[in-house]
Amino acid sequence: MRIARYVPYLVGAAVAATFPLFSGAYLEQVAGATLIYLTLALSWDMLLRSGQLGFGTAGFFGLGSYAAVLLFLNVGVQPFVSIIFGGIVAGVVALLLGLAVLRLRGMYFAITTLALAGIFAVVLRNFPSLTGGAEGKMLPSCIFSGDTANVYWLILVVAVMTIVISEVFERTRIHVALTSIRNDERVAKSSGVNVFKYLVFVFAVTSAIQGIAGGVYAHVFGFVSPEGSFSANFLLLPLAMALLGGIHSTWGPVIGALVLGALSEYLKLQIPYGHLLVYGAIIVVVILFLPQGLSGAARAWRGRSHAARGAR
Amino acid sequence: MRLLRRLRRGQVLLLLVSLGVLVLMMLWKPYALIEGLQRGGLYALIALPMALILGVVGIINLAHGEFMMLGAYFAYWLGVYTGLDPLVAMIPALVAFALLGAATYLLTIRRALKAPELNQLLLTFGVAMVGAEFANLMWTSQPLKPHLSYVYSSMTLGKLRFGAYAFVYTVSAIVLLVLLSLFLRRTRLGRAALAVGQNPRGAKLVGIDINRTYLAIFSLSIALVGAIGAMFLTRNSVFPSAGSPYTMKSFCLIALAGIGNLPSVVWGGFGLGIAEALVLSFRGYGGWADVVFFAVLVAVILGRSYRRQTA
Amino acid sequence: MSLKGKRMGLRVWALAILVVVGVGLFVAADEGTIKLGAILPLGDITGAQASKAMQLAVAEINAAGGVLGRQLELFIVDDESKPDKGAAAVDLLATVDNVDVFIGGMSSGVHLGELPALKKYEKVTVWIGAASSLVEQAAVGLDWYFHIHPWDYLQGASYVQGWADLQTQYPLIKISKVFWAYEDGAFGTSSFQGSLVAFSNWLNSGEPFKSALLGGGDYRSVLRHAMDYDPDMFVWVGYAADALPMMEQAAEIGFTPPLFVGSPPGWPADFGTSPLAEGVISYGMWAPSIKDVSPVSQHFWDAYIAKFSEQPATYFAPLGYTNVYVVAEAIQRAGTLEKQALITALEATNYASPLGETLTFTPSKLIAHQGFRNQKILQWQDGQQQVIWPFAYATALPRYPFTGK
Repeated sequence: MRIARYVPYLVGAAVAATFPLFSGAYLEQVAGATLIYLTLALSWDMLLRSGQLGFGTAGFFGLGSYAAVLLFLNVGVQPFVSIIFGGIVAGVVALLLGLAVLRLRGMYFAITTLALAGIFAVVLRNFPSLTGGAEGKMLPSCIFSGDTANVYWLILVVAVMTIVISEVFERTRIHVALTSIRNDERVAKSSGVNVFKYLVFVFAVTSAIQGIAGGVYAHVFGFVSPEGSFSANFLLLPLAMALLGGIHSTWGPVIGALVLGALSEYLKLQIPYGHLLVYGAIIVVVILFLPQGLSGAARAWRGRSHAARGAR
Repeated sequence: MRLLRRLRRGQVLLLLVSLGVLVLMMLWKPYALIEGLQRGGLYALIALPMALILGVVGIINLAHGEFMMLGAYFAYWLGVYTGLDPLVAMIPALVAFALLGAATYLLTIRRALKAPELNQLLLTFGVAMVGAEFANLMWTSQPLKPHLSYVYSSMTLGKLRFGAYAFVYTVSAIVLLVLLSLFLRRTRLGRAALAVGQNPRGAKLVGIDINRTYLAIFSLSIALVGAIGAMFLTRNSVFPSAGSPYTMKSFCLIALAGIGNLPSVVWGGFGLGIAEALVLSFRGYGGWADVVFFAVLVAVILGRSYRRQTA
Repeated sequence: MSLKGKRMGLRVWALAILVVVGVGLFVAADEGTIKLGAILPLGDITGAQASKAMQLAVAEINAAGGVLGRQLELFIVDDESKPDKGAAAVDLLATVDNVDVFIGGMSSGVHLGELPALKKYEKVTVWIGAASSLVEQAAVGLDWYFHIHPWDYLQGASYVQGWADLQTQYPLIKISKVFWAYEDGAFGTSSFQGSLVAFSNWLNSGEPFKSALLGGGDYRSVLRHAMDYDPDMFVWVGYAADALPMMEQAAEIGFTPPLFVGSPPGWPADFGTSPLAEGVISYGMWAPSIKDVSPVSQHFWDAYIAKFSEQPATYFAPLGYTNVYVVAEAIQRAGTLEKQALITALEATNYASPLGETLTFTPSKLIAHQGFRNQKILQWQDGQQQVIWPFAYATALPRYPFTGK
């Protein structure tokens, strides 16, 4: 029985790992992009579990992209090293900023992180000698020379690591601490949980993940620019994916990202002109009829079928 | 009592300081002051209806700018077919967008009120997407703008020559603030809205129909922003993504002011407008105007939270 | 449980076989067509109209019997103005639709993301968008890559030539001091930097502004700085959304330089209806008035309106049309889809395009196959855009100076 519980995970892992063996370059490309968004969605949700609504996803993504590309171009390290460096830069910046801004709550925290992301982009744009200014920088060659299967596996590793970190957070003291912050900060404080320490830690880790995702993206597509790397897409799409899939869990954002990633591509091919209208309408309808998100609905449905089987 | 006096003294001081700054700016950089008040007026004007929804219904309406954009299209096409000036078109826009707002509320928002809070964020994000894409399918991404000769009329004061018309945004922001404050304090619906905004459960206990209040406030807000869209069109082009930057700007401004604080939205808007115009007035530093906007925002929010923590 | 599993497995196999056979049949049935894969931003008017113009060209060619006796088949995929979607579109067209040639293109930012994917397949690619010289750097050494749109620096050089010609022809026009107002994104900034190099014999000054497209739209501080500078020519590089507000704000502060030049990728539909438009110079590759001097352009104009009941509003419409014709004619000349033959045939391109000029491919600074090099200098006169340079396609004489009325 216990083994049966893990079967879906094992099957999922096997399918994910062997995906390039039975799909072509196109599906690998789509899957790779989807996994980038999945990583962002999940890392966004990991912070949200503490009750902190972060709008800085695109900012740390862009920061990681720039850090990775600039290190790669100016120092000439391995792409992998530069990607990790991008993550470290994003994480350290988040750590330092977090000490100041994590005292804020709710909408004020959200808007401050959004503003910080805006500041990153403008500052990078205004130092053209280093960053290439508004035009950005281009890499002489892309990682794996653009081979989609290898790119897919690289992104998969990042996504899986994020899933693992998320699960670790869910199953350790961190989860207890974060949930107690979300539910009632005063109680959390009085029970001796160092709220702030955990918040700063999670903010730094999730921002580092976003930075790594940014570094990977920059190496896969071979360039950074203020408009492209800090695009609002890297905030709004992950947010939509996590909310649609179901927040405060690992699998909600994962499901949301996979569903929306596939849906947007499918709709685009079916309805060349106006697919975004349908996409938006689907988001509206799903959130109205499945308020707990897709994973919440799946849980409820499974619960019901379990109950029905039990009754029988 | 002493606290009150101190508070007043503080406020008087603040007023004096800001007046001093204004006088200094009038002498030093008059254009930055004039144009800052005008652009800040537009920011404040667009933010006010959003602040109303956020304060009363408690929803961050990510489709706010899209409603403004649709209002601008409404005024444009009304102008094309009937020759109506956009400023006159504000009146039919009020009616049409009240209906659109009510429909949006009844079809979507109302059903998501009991759902987890963030669902409303995603919901309005979806509505925004539908609105922008609808406009794109109907009228393409090519910008539209009617020719209006009065929008570039200018005034001469001594050696200064500046645009007079754009003050319409500054004045409208103040008028709208006064009207909204009167509405919230003097009318039954307004007082009910205030009560619901502060404490929905308490308001329900004293017999206020929350759903009707939400419906009224949401429709009012959308009606206002639709009409503001018509006014926006007089000096700006309209295109499908014209509204979304103003959603973010309005949201920032409201956070700067603090939720439920309508007057500060207007003063904050003026302040940000002037700060931006001041930076822009220096040759070679125009690229930093955006940073000023964000930096002021972050500084005010952090400063306020710090003050609250130490108080 | 296990039985069910086995049945499931069978079903999956059956499905897989069906799919494989189905795809095979599909491919076999499609052997007869020549496949063009176009990638464009369909949500933007440039991409939407380019895609329609491509459909028009394909329909015309097919109606006339196709190419090498085979019909053309056009696959259009939306890049949604996102580099990752653009790259996925390349893979889709290459591996699923098996297209023979890649065409299309708009934004440089998207194209930079597509190039790594294009390099994997090395199929013949004829691109109409992406003017940034960063793209040229990324396309160095690709013998199968053909680029139709002039690079940013070529545009700059072309205007240098244009203004030199205009000043010689009309001695009244004198330019030595220029102010550039450019939008602060990649488009405006690269264009400004290119201009500084191209016009190094002029006294140049410039300042960025935030485009209305990205939430800006207040140009008065830049316009005032320009006015203080007192230039012979004022150039703004921004988007269509900036066009009319820019004129209004200049009128508001009383800024009337002798030459008022705007350089957006497209103009608002009703720009000409404003009296402020009178005398405004614009840079571009095409204007509707070119149909008066070019029969191809006239034919394109009429056919597009007849097919879609709308007017071509951006130069990407005639570019899209050109894109398909250039490829089709090259295949016809090559007599085969074989890559080397097709590249050689494309190199011999000599196509009288609806943009006025005849298109040929010659080397640019870094790549071997560059198409157009010249832009045109146009002027809004009585509500219409007229060509004033090159003189060969001129539709009207220049009006000078700009009066702001």
